[in-house]
Amino acid sequence: MEKTILLVEDNKDDEDLTLRALRKANIANEVFVARDGQEALDFLFCAGKYAGRDPKALPAVVLLDLKLPKLNGIDVLHRLRADARTRLIPVVVLTSSSEDEDMMRSYESGANSYVRKPVEFPAFAAAVTQLGIYWMLLNQSPPKKP
Amino acid sequence: MKPLGSLSLRHKLFGVVLLTALVALIVALGAMVGYDLQSYHRNLVSDLTTQADLLGRTTATALAFDDPKVAAENLGVLRFRPAVSSAALYGARGALFATYARTGEQRAFPKLPEGDGVRIEDRDLILFKRIVNGGEILGTVYLRADYELYDRVLDYLGISALVLIVAMGLALLLALWMQRYVTHPVLAIADIAREVVDKRDYSRRATKLSADEVGALVDAFNDMLAEIGRRTAELESSNAMLAREIDERKHAQGEVLRLNAVLEDRVHERTAQLESANRELEAFSYSVSHDLRAPLRSIDGFGQALVEDFPEHLPDGARSYLDRIRTSTVRMGQLIEGLLNLARVSRRPLERNPVDLSKMAKQAVSELQQREPERSVEVSVWDGMQAEGDAQLLSIVLENLIGNAWKFTSKKDKPRVEIGALKDRGHATFYVRDNGAGFDMTYADKLFGAFQRLHAASDYAGTGIGLATVQRIIHLHGGRIWAEGETGKGAVFYFTLDRAAEAPARAVQSAEKRGA
Repeated sequence: MEKTILLVEDNKDDEDLTLRALRKANIANEVFVARDGQEALDFLFCAGKYAGRDPKALPAVVLLDLKLPKLNGIDVLHRLRADARTRLIPVVVLTSSSEDEDMMRSYESGANSYVRKPVEFPAFAAAVTQLGIYWMLLNQSPPKKP
Repeated sequence: MKPLGSLSLRHKLFGVVLLTALVALIVALGAMVGYDLQSYHRNLVSDLTTQADLLGRTTATALAFDDPKVAAENLGVLRFRPAVSSAALYGARGALFATYARTGEQRAFPKLPEGDGVRIEDRDLILFKRIVNGGEILGTVYLRADYELYDRVLDYLGISALVLIVAMGLALLLALWMQRYVTHPVLAIADIAREVVDKRDYSRRATKLSADEVGALVDAFNDMLAEIGRRTAELESSNAMLAREIDERKHAQGEVLRLNAVLEDRVHERTAQLESANRELEAFSYSVSHDLRAPLRSIDGFGQALVEDFPEHLPDGARSYLDRIRTSTVRMGQLIEGLLNLARVSRRPLERNPVDLSKMAKQAVSELQQREPERSVEVSVWDGMQAEGDAQLLSIVLENLIGNAWKFTSKKDKPRVEIGALKDRGHATFYVRDNGAGFDMTYADKLFGAFQRLHAASDYAGTGIGLATVQRIIHLHGGRIWAEGETGKGAVFYFTLDRAAEAPARAVQSAEKRGA
């Protein structure tokens, strides 16, 4: 089964730039985009407008922004880690913030990785490319339950 | 009965005078009466013995001739001695020979004569005397006379009593008179002493009535009162002073407490204000951190996208403008980063640990070298520079200072950077020296202000935040930072990391200046 990515991002520009960087890096995996924390949870738990989705089809990685409308990134992390279905799903925090506090809270809440979005686009593109390659090609997802 | 010690002085004095007079009188009267009674007895006995002798001689003839009539006549002379109440004459064989009795006296005589001797019987003195002539006892004279000793004793007792009464009266008067001179002044002193004690009036004085010991006592007492009065006045004045002082202290204390309360209120108020300002600042920098960079990324990203996606539609001029837009976004990103660092420095608590500054400096140098491998800078880092401080913050300090030195030597032929330390009494002053662009000492005070730059951005890139951050870190450590420089010749940045190092550091600084 094709590995997918869930991008949780409220900024349309950042979304487009991220998708562009992935495309440029020839990473053709499907990317779902959620625009706020609640939508991300709905997607993962197949609720709301995603009620018809196959609950077994979890993304290989969640790229999670911290500052989000409704539920913020940390809240989403807590909910994911508290639920048996999403407990092991790899979550990469992808944010503009370089605050130590944000970093600590992310890791404490169960983030697998913390990546800062650089202001310079080339650096940003490089970061996204590396993320894509790593999580799509290199990283082994947790084994699926029978 | 009162014990003797508790009697008043007046009574004791009376007692002594009266007792002395009484004893003296009794002894004197006793001696006189005793002597008189004794001589009376002696005289009476000797008188009667002589009388008996005389009677013996006169009646010897009558006895010899056994003529009781003559003998009775001889005895009859006794009527001239009224003290003799009766008399008798006994013959040699003890038979009553002749008798005599005072008129109205009972005639009773002893049956037999006794030997020579005198005895007292029933207030009478009885005397027997033998009549001896030429060794032969002719007979015995018997005399009985009134013995008036007891009457005399009674008389004397009466007289003595009278004398005693008169003498004691006189003694009493004497004592009263003496009291005026002895007891009265003493009692007056006692009265005044009592008054002084009761009324606490130390101005009272006893009147001196005599120049004797009592007078001396009065003087001493008055001196003592004066001294006590003086001392009491001193004590009272010092007490009053103390009380005033205590009042003043209380007042001052109250004032201090009030001021403290005011201060505390103010501190609370300020703390609240500061806390609110801090919260706002934190929210602000959080927001800056999250939100201010995203638009820059968009500008940069879509600029790049323009160049990539529509290369044929972009003339060279447009491409150059796009480059300038992107350069500015990068710079804006650096400025935001610098500001956030500066804000972050004061927000996190200081963690003091031993830090190897030499190692840290070498690390910073090697990073710079990696970033600009084409540059060749002669860098010397002293070994063994140890300090106590927050490793993360100190590495920001070194990165900035060494980075500056690296940057400002970029236009030199032989760029040189030295990182070292001056030691003074165990306290170190660290320095970063370069031979770069330097600065004009006139503007030395502007070096450490945020966004203050002494060089054009076109000459040397920079945000103007680095040294402000460095200074903040040094101040957080309680240290000092200062710089010396000369335009075109280079600059030295000195810093210390503890307060104790401050004074010697200044000395070093001025020494350096003289040496330069």
